Amino acid sequence: MDWILFLELAANGAVTGLLYAMVAISIVLIFKSSAVPNLAQGALVMVGAYAVLAFSDWLGLPMWLAIPAAMVFMFGLGIGIERHALRRLAGQPIIMILMMTLGLDIFLRGITLAAFGGSARRMDLGISDDPLFVGQILMSRVHLTGAAVALMVFAALVLFFRTRRGIRLRAISNDYVASWSVGIGVEQGVALSWALAAVISTIAGVFWGAVQGVDQSLSLLLLKSLTVAVLGGLDSLPGAIVAGILLGVLESVVSGYLDPLVGGGSRELVVAVTLILTVLIRPHGLFGDRSVERI
Amino acid sequence: MTTASAEPLLSLRNVEVVYDNVSLAVSGVSLDVPEGQLIALLGANGAGKSTTLRSISGLLQAARGKVTRGEIRYAGQLVNTLSPQDRVKLGIVQVLEGRHVFEQLTTNENLEAACPVEMSRAEMRSALDRAYTFFPRLAERRNATSGYLSGGEQQMLAIARALMTRPRMLMLDEPSLGLSPMLTTEIFSIIRRINREEGISVLLVEQNAFAALDLVSHGYLIESGRVVMHDTATAMKNNPDIQEFYLGGHGVNFRDIKHYRRRKRWLT
Amino acid sequence: MFYRLSGVRHFSYTGDRSLYRIPFERNAALALLAAAILAPWIIGELTLTSLVQPWLIWTSAALGLNLVVGWAGQLHLGYAAVMGVGAYAGTHAARSGVPWEIAIVLAGFASMVIGSVFSIAALRVKGLYLALTTLAMQFVIDWSIVHLSVVSGGALASLRAPDMSLLGFEINGTAGLYYVALAWCVLVTIFMMNLRRSALGRALMAVREKDYAAEIIGVRSFVFKLVAFAASSFIAGVSGAVLIATYYHIVTPDQFSTQVSIQVLAMVIVGGLGSIIGTYLGTALILIMPGLVAALFHGATELFDLRIGVETLAHLPNAAYGALIMGCLLWEPLGLGRLYHNMRSYLIAWPFGYLKK
Ligand SMILES: Nc1ncnc2c1ncn2[C@@H]1O[C@H](COP(=O)(O)OP(=O)(O)OP(=O)(O)O)[C@@H](O)[C@H]1O
Ligand SMILES: [Mg+2]
Repeated sequence: MDWILFLELAANGAVTGLLYAMVAISIVLIFKSSAVPNLAQGALVMVGAYAVLAFSDWLGLPMWLAIPAAMVFMFGLGIGIERHALRRLAGQPIIMILMMTLGLDIFLRGITLAAFGGSARRMDLGISDDPLFVGQILMSRVHLTGAAVALMVFAALVLFFRTRRGIRLRAISNDYVASWSVGIGVEQGVALSWALAAVISTIAGVFWGAVQGVDQSLSLLLLKSLTVAVLGGLDSLPGAIVAGILLGVLESVVSGYLDPLVGGGSRELVVAVTLILTVLIRPHGLFGDRSVERI
Repeated sequence: MTTASAEPLLSLRNVEVVYDNVSLAVSGVSLDVPEGQLIALLGANGAGKSTTLRSISGLLQAARGKVTRGEIRYAGQLVNTLSPQDRVKLGIVQVLEGRHVFEQLTTNENLEAACPVEMSRAEMRSALDRAYTFFPRLAERRNATSGYLSGGEQQMLAIARALMTRPRMLMLDEPSLGLSPMLTTEIFSIIRRINREEGISVLLVEQNAFAALDLVSHGYLIESGRVVMHDTATAMKNNPDIQEFYLGGHGVNFRDIKHYRRRKRWLT
Repeated sequence: MFYRLSGVRHFSYTGDRSLYRIPFERNAALALLAAAILAPWIIGELTLTSLVQPWLIWTSAALGLNLVVGWAGQLHLGYAAVMGVGAYAGTHAARSGVPWEIAIVLAGFASMVIGSVFSIAALRVKGLYLALTTLAMQFVIDWSIVHLSVVSGGALASLRAPDMSLLGFEINGTAGLYYVALAWCVLVTIFMMNLRRSALGRALMAVREKDYAAEIIGVRSFVFKLVAFAASSFIAGVSGAVLIATYYHIVTPDQFSTQVSIQVLAMVIVGGLGSIIGTYLGTALILIMPGLVAALFHGATELFDLRIGVETLAHLPNAAYGALIMGCLLWEPLGLGRLYHNMRSYLIAWPFGYLKK
């Protein structure tokens, strides 16, 4: 066995996995606060990336300004989506909610492509493409930066959940009625979680855009991030990070050895099979609350 | 009647509540809670006690219920249409039936979650201290995950959490549910202290009518969604009907039932 | 008015359980059927092949999905994959010389086998988790179809289906192919209509409402979920094969992608869960909507001389399609079938509105 190859696959997988985790965190945030599985998450990442491009290409803002501007825009978009699409479905059967997020996914993708066209664009972060050797292992600078940012986002969220506003958000995800009874604005809390998710999607969109270009394929991140979220336990943030790394490594190593045999494309298969096995064997994931299975 | 101030803090007039647009749970309840008083709301299972409390706190929406008739006045203001959040801001708070604590949060975080956002850090600390002086047991377990507290401790936490909203009127829905008689006594004495020391008016719903009537000044008896009796606590305790049917008196006798039914019809 | 009844009154159980509880509806259905049979002489060939025929096939497919989602209450996001299995099975069978009528049945059974694998998931989890598993299974099946060249047909990944023939007769004219689609659609519709009043249908509804409660009153939810998935998969498989045989004529993997699964689900939900007439309406709406929107924007650009890019024009129908799904959910979560039902119960009692049940 070639240990260098294995380590390289694993290390790169872990780093990519953290990038998946960043998207998964958004899913977890929304699911935690409102039990809505957001199947429009991939589209949200794509919209975030295009929003950055809109601010930098159309308005000519430098990147360091375009990204925060896009984050502000996405914050508003998140609130708008919650208020106008999801809030009115509260209490409806899960199939309606799923269909709503699917419709949202189609709508967001359609409207973004109508505005920007279908051809892929570059997201230039000014990070050099030169390979980076860590020991004998070859790694990508963009990926590494993205992974570091993912960990920072996670740390920021952990800190946020210690603040009073964060505690209220956790209270909401714990018990709606009790939250209402002590005057916590549940609707505002859920809207805030959508807004935060949209902001994090923007950051994820920036890095995924830098990695693979900005186009419709960004929305395909849905299946991977969903798998990460479910594997970690849909309502667990640390779970998303751990599961992200796990899935990244698994995907990279398995496809690294399998691809030459089956002629490529086994990454998607690994992800889909992981999702199926997780749901069938341990629906509440690695760290999730067992009771979520009931939903 | 007592000689309480002319205008009670809370007054319900002919309140009617309908769940799911069809099932009538409360029909024409009227009651008053004078400022600074302890009032009990008694009744059998399903009589409509919790529903009445929900109509006051605004939590009916969460249960797909609606106030379809009547007025709910609080401090002179009509609050029928206010959101639960706004009612909490006005000082109305309800402690839910069956200990709804935020199970994944610690004791301390449960209390912090209930703090109004505009409260400063220092104010919050003093509010926390005050809550812990009422419930010293909670202070010992302030960093424990509240889902793992005992039933009695969770009930205390739910009351303490309600206090954090700085209420003027506290509504308690069966605080003795599932607690030992000793713990019930302890909680009731704390409720009395809260009422005396903080001047908070209390509306208490209880199955445990004996204990409740020892605590309060007045009581209302509600049955099938209607108020069938309203009197001072002493009078209610001595009322033969109450003794018979709610406090468990001597053997039931049919003449008494008839008597009671007649009386009830007359009252409603 | 049309119904010439004031309220529905039945004086016997037989009457209450009859297929059509109002004579008018039976007559209307017969009239529609007659119109459908005469359609090749009534409407133009283009409309017939490009609108009516796909509508009928997709409706049969959507009815099959409605059986699982609307009747049995099991979420299914991998329906297109099951259809795809049928399409490939049928095409391969026909290509290897099996007569079409047998190939189509084989397609149904192939889908039934694969579809029953989905039901294994349904037996273990429900709700969201079932939706996720079926979605993942869709990916696995898609992947297998694309990557197994034996299935997909090698490098070009497209297979030509042989010409249709039934019982030894060549079927190649537009009208002939249309009748095949119509026959299948009528068959599925009759099955679904009778399902509602059969023991199986009632058991499925009991499972949908609360599976463990159904279990308590003696409904084996395990068996009925399995039956629901099997029956729906059979319908999916045959529909897939019919789609290829009479409409696409060529089978490629992307005809049965995740997007198609979502599209069929949208037909069911826009139409109304558990509603047969709703499924017809929902399918029609989802099918004609993109063309309609495209035509609308195209017309607008010509009319007002707007400078809308080609790409924008190409993607706007998609946005409108998404918006349509969202709008339907917000506006009438019970779907078009519900609207029809409301209108019907209004008209039945008309003009004596107070007689309404
Ligand atoms: N969410 C709801 N939806 C429909 N009906 C309800 C709902 N909540 C209560 N009811 C009905 O309203 C009536 C009054 O219920 P309520 O909970 O107010 O009784 P209660 O006096 O609090 O009884 P208990 O002592 O058992 O708590 C009951 O008949 C009950 O079935
Ligand atoms: Mg109650």
